[in-house]
Amino acid sequence: MSNGSAAVPAAAARRRGATRRLRRLDTKVSPYLYIAPFFVLFGIFGIFPLVYTAYVSLTDRNLLEPTSHFIGLANYAELFHDSYFWNAVENTLGIWVISTIPQLLLALAIAHLLNRSLRVRTFFRMSILLPQVTSLVAVALIFSQLFGYRYGLVNYVLNHVGIGNVNWEAGRLSSWVALSTMVTWRWVGYNALLYLASMQSIPEELYEAAAVDGARSWKQFVHVTIPMLRPTIIFTVIVSTIGGLQLFTEPYLFQPVKGAATGGSGRQYQTVSMYLYEKAFGSSQFKFGYASAIAWCLFLLIAVIAFVNFLLVRRIRAVDA
Amino acid sequence: MSTKLFAPHHWRRKKSIVSICVVAGLVGAGYAATTAAGKTGKTQDVTLNVSLFGDFGYHDLYKQYEASHPGITIKEDIQDYATHHSNLAKHLAVGGAADVEAIEVGFIAQFAAQPQQFVDLRQYGASSLKKRWLPWKYQQGVASNKAVIGLGTDVGSLALCYRRDLFKKAGLPTGRAAVSRLWPTWKRFIAAGQRFQAHAPKGVKFFDSGSNVYNAMIGQATPAYYDRNGKVIASSNPSVKAAWNLTMKGIAKGESAGFAAFSNDWNTGYKNGTFATVTCPAWMMGYIQGQAPNTAGKWDIADVPGDGGNWGGSYLAVPKQSQHQSEAADLVKFLTSPASEAAIFKQTGNLPSQPALLKSRAVVGFKNPFFNGAPVGKIFAASALKLRPQILGPHQGDIQQAASNAIQRVEQHKQSPAKSWAQFLKDVKAIG
Amino acid sequence: MSVLAYRARPHARRIRRRTYRRAGPLTYLFLVLLAVGSAFPLYWSFVVASHDNSALGAYPPVLTPGGHLWSNIRRLFDAGIVNVDFWTALANSAIVAGVVTICVVFFSALAGFAFAKLDFRGRKTLLLVVIATMIVPVQLGVIPLYIEMRHFGWIDHLQAVIAPFVVSAFGVFLMRQYIVGAVPDELIDASRVDGCHTARVFWHVVLPAVRPVAAVLGLLTFMNTWNDFFWPLIVLTPRNPTVQVAVSTLAGAAYVPDYALILTGTFISILPLLVVFLVLGKQIIGGIMQGAVKG
Repeated sequence: MSNGSAAVPAAAARRRGATRRLRRLDTKVSPYLYIAPFFVLFGIFGIFPLVYTAYVSLTDRNLLEPTSHFIGLANYAELFHDSYFWNAVENTLGIWVISTIPQLLLALAIAHLLNRSLRVRTFFRMSILLPQVTSLVAVALIFSQLFGYRYGLVNYVLNHVGIGNVNWEAGRLSSWVALSTMVTWRWVGYNALLYLASMQSIPEELYEAAAVDGARSWKQFVHVTIPMLRPTIIFTVIVSTIGGLQLFTEPYLFQPVKGAATGGSGRQYQTVSMYLYEKAFGSSQFKFGYASAIAWCLFLLIAVIAFVNFLLVRRIRAVDA
Repeated sequence: MSTKLFAPHHWRRKKSIVSICVVAGLVGAGYAATTAAGKTGKTQDVTLNVSLFGDFGYHDLYKQYEASHPGITIKEDIQDYATHHSNLAKHLAVGGAADVEAIEVGFIAQFAAQPQQFVDLRQYGASSLKKRWLPWKYQQGVASNKAVIGLGTDVGSLALCYRRDLFKKAGLPTGRAAVSRLWPTWKRFIAAGQRFQAHAPKGVKFFDSGSNVYNAMIGQATPAYYDRNGKVIASSNPSVKAAWNLTMKGIAKGESAGFAAFSNDWNTGYKNGTFATVTCPAWMMGYIQGQAPNTAGKWDIADVPGDGGNWGGSYLAVPKQSQHQSEAADLVKFLTSPASEAAIFKQTGNLPSQPALLKSRAVVGFKNPFFNGAPVGKIFAASALKLRPQILGPHQGDIQQAASNAIQRVEQHKQSPAKSWAQFLKDVKAIG
Repeated sequence: MSVLAYRARPHARRIRRRTYRRAGPLTYLFLVLLAVGSAFPLYWSFVVASHDNSALGAYPPVLTPGGHLWSNIRRLFDAGIVNVDFWTALANSAIVAGVVTICVVFFSALAGFAFAKLDFRGRKTLLLVVIATMIVPVQLGVIPLYIEMRHFGWIDHLQAVIAPFVVSAFGVFLMRQYIVGAVPDELIDASRVDGCHTARVFWHVVLPAVRPVAAVLGLLTFMNTWNDFFWPLIVLTPRNPTVQVAVSTLAGAAYVPDYALILTGTFISILPLLVVFLVLGKQIIGGIMQGAVKG
């Protein structure tokens, strides 16, 4: 059929054209559809709190009083001169350094060890997640007991070794160490597992090739594992930075008496989040406006430090494919 | 063309994940729908929500009330102490408060500073009931605009628990009366401590915590942190400085075990007998019995130095947010009635806040074998009746916390008393 | 040697054993210590739960189980004593954690894939926004979020603890980082050449490839949701509790906390988690991590 044979290629061409247009639509539109659930839900449950606290930080809102007044940047100005705020910043940074850097290095080492051919490998891999299973209430009770001054298990051991009692909760550095131990204990398995999952996707051949080149275990680690883990390392650094600078639960539960959230008798381990909580809910002043200003300052602090960390970690040599 | 990745079994697995998600979503939605339906219920019946921070022993009373008030159901919520009060503040700000809320004495002043949030119980006859309570207990539930926002439940009342065996080892008298005579004033208390430390068994201190001693002293000062007009006078009030100085003296003489009340070490201190005395409200008896059952019979109770004392005790309030204000107010009156408080005393040992009950035979005759058969009812009742307490102000809790921290800093050898006091004054100024 | 070349030879599995990466005795020692250290607090909370209230503060510390476990458990489930229905709490936690986990894994894979492998305008900026959302401190968002929940009428309903958490910036970021490394561009290009539109690429290429990290993310999300207590404590009441809310009501016997009961509560609240962990974890971590991806 001469007419049909001429029509068929045209129809096919039209179909191909339609398919191409659909394809273009798909490539253009589908990314936005895929990220939509996140942004829609964040829009509902995340944007409103953000905007709300931004506005409230410009007022003198007190939770119990019905009226509040717009005071502009007065809260921020007061914060700048607030020695307890800067004390909290110092505490937060100190605890973060001690708890994050050794923790991530340890997690890397653990993941590397678990990546080998091991007997009862699964048992070991699962045991490191047990800290995540343990409920926070139990963790707090147990670590407070462990680091108790006169009757804690750690001091009990230290006494037997001849070192004597350390008043963990009372001192500044000692409380930081105790808290870092708690945080590290809780999160090192989590991070190790993330590294391990990434390590699993590193092809065996790369190690074999490196071995053929004469590289032993450590060199393989540095030249194969770490570069291939770069995206995951960036991830854990940024997430640990954010989480570490927001630290609240562990120091809050570490206090002998909760509630006021002062972080020890001399505010020696009061983090910025705890100071925020103290101002908003812990003291009878319920200074919500002031606390909102603290929240935004914390936001800025984290953003800056996370960005700096990102720049530092990005220097890990990228994978040459 | 088609690679292994397009194999059917992958399809099925991904399909099952999606179907799980859908089912879960439906289950969740269905659950939500049924719960929502369940909550509307019948419209003429009233459900009263009671929110407490511990077991107040009200269960039988609820049953009694429900039986005599058909159509009313009572539901009780318990949260821990800190969460309850912080949630109360949040709920008052954004809604969601219960019909009846318990407020502890440590928070009553700050909530009484916001009388517009609560129902004035005078509308429901509170004024005519005023005589039931200890005057100071009733007064603490009254706001500055004279509205009665809370009615008193129990009182902490204060005595001094001491370890007879440790006193004996240190050469102090052990009989209740003799011991009470040792310390009619706090000055003599600290002096007795010196006597104790001179011959005390190794590692044992006279009292558990400087803060507890200090708070007991402050509790008797009239005025203490606040004057009658609600102004903070902590820095200028000589009674406050005197209490501080005396406490510092005790600490300097090594009489304090340096614990923070309710910390783990404090609990262990009970078990191991690390301190010989502790300021002891009525509810502390149950605490000691639970923490250190092995010390049964070794304790006894003497009068607290000075004139009576109080640590703890609560109020029941009705937030204005309640949809059933008159029913809630009626329930509050019932739960704080003499009959109810007497029943609770029998059940949980919480000391009533009403003089008539404090003088009743049931209370006065109550003895506790754990404490060497001490007539605890009589002792605590006397302490509650004697007390002329400090005037509470809205930021009472904050000032108290600042003081406790200041004392702890000295006990932990972090600051000298002078430096610590200076910081305390700075904190008080910031609290305003 | 290029990654793609390797993948094109699926039969070239581990011909040689990993003789150069076997674990020595020192490694085993370290891992055993690690396992003991990880498990100890859990073990010790079990010890305290099996004693009466005086065990927590004992000195020297009590390290062996006592005989009170059954009576404590019986007290726990006696709603008359503890004022909260623990069975309901366990069921609620299971529902909440389950729904949140499934949704988080799925939505994170979706968005992570888009950020990792799809090209679209504003990709870099939007990714930064995602990361920035992680920085918002939780404690302060509590009040506005609570206001929203009241607005929706979700107070004391499970939606209040599910809805805000069905998407997670952490999950999106994690998936994105993983997909960037683990799913080669060549594979996606190949499937596109085969005529797949984006959804098919996602379904057939990406989802299978992210199994390890999806499993880890799922497990971690489940555990974190199960253990979350700050927000549920505010928005739920003991009438419709999750286990953490239920445990906090145990903490309140006015001034006198019964630690044995509290730790029994946490111990019971951990048991379902442990079961999920042991059953699924073994399969997920053990099986999938044996390199099924490389198949």
